Amino acid sequence: MSPLPESLLESVAAAAVREGLADALYTRLNTPIGRLLVVSGPNGLIRIAFETEAEDVALREVAAALGPRLIGSDAEMRAPREALSDYFDGAPLDLPVDLRLAAAPFRRAVLEELREVPRGATVSYGELAARAGNPKAARAVGTACARNPVPIVVPCHRVLPGTGRLGSYRGGPERKATLLELEGVASR
Amino acid sequence: MLPPFWTLVEAHGDELLVHARRLAGDSAEDVLQDALLRALRAYPKLRHADHLRAWLYRVTTTTAIDHHRRTRREVLVDEPPVVAAYDTHGDDFEGLIAPLNETAQAALRLRFVDDLDYDGIAERLDCSVEAARQRVSSAVRTLRESYA
Repeated sequence: MSPLPESLLESVAAAAVREGLADALYTRLNTPIGRLLVVSGPNGLIRIAFETEAEDVALREVAAALGPRLIGSDAEMRAPREALSDYFDGAPLDLPVDLRLAAAPFRRAVLEELREVPRGATVSYGELAARAGNPKAARAVGTACARNPVPIVVPCHRVLPGTGRLGSYRGGPERKATLLELEGVASR
Repeated sequence: MLPPFWTLVEAHGDELLVHARRLAGDSAEDVLQDALLRALRAYPKLRHADHLRAWLYRVTTTTAIDHHRRTRREVLVDEPPVVAAYDTHGDDFEGLIAPLNETAQAALRLRFVDDLDYDGIAERLDCSVEAARQRVSSAVRTLRESYA
């Protein structure tokens, strides 16, 4: 069976975007930490999934929040693809995000505070809890990071335990270590 | 809940192109592109998430027929429509297959509404798998010729 030409799919995607038929767009991007699924809604990036996560679960999560008309397209996702590639080449990353998949208000506050932590810097769970308005909620910060719907762009890899260890990460500790190394943070 | 639209395209796109080629030959890619956009427009209005593959086959079939009629109308402007009651914007599969004989209609319904494979169609029609395949393909051919 001859496969569907990529150009046909990109034409459908372009027409869908032109007609306002797309609830969300997605693309798959190869990076130094493996393949990423990158999903964007009308307000910005809404979901980034590591290759260790089930793609269909991530896409269904977005469909439940934004609607079922998800469209895959590298061309229509060119801007975030380039921004992410530039980030892996050393540039700062500043893409709009939509945090609606982080449903709990405190978790969302944590992720919004976390956006302010720049490339190459780190913060402890306790410190981030304080910045988000509740210094005692270090554990809840851990949960917020573990369920961060848009890792990398919301940099939970920059959140470290006070113990000097690496701590956990949605994409696994190895990816966290790679990202920190990439940003020039000395591994401990 | 309806699955993300593009997961259907990724799962069934290749076979839909084969289907479009059977119906529309060289225009298959134009037909499929148009069919996928039609499907996308209608998608949020679907009332259930069953038989989505068969639904995509039907949208592709109706789009191919429309395409034939449009191209022909460009040649013979005064030609009356082949099936007067056929609603081009809905998914009027029954209107589309109405001109065929009962056997052909049954085969197409089992294939494109019930989404059965040829083993399943053979069982329902009490014939061999090869006969089931032939009934479906000759019905598709008749349909194509009647609109071409």
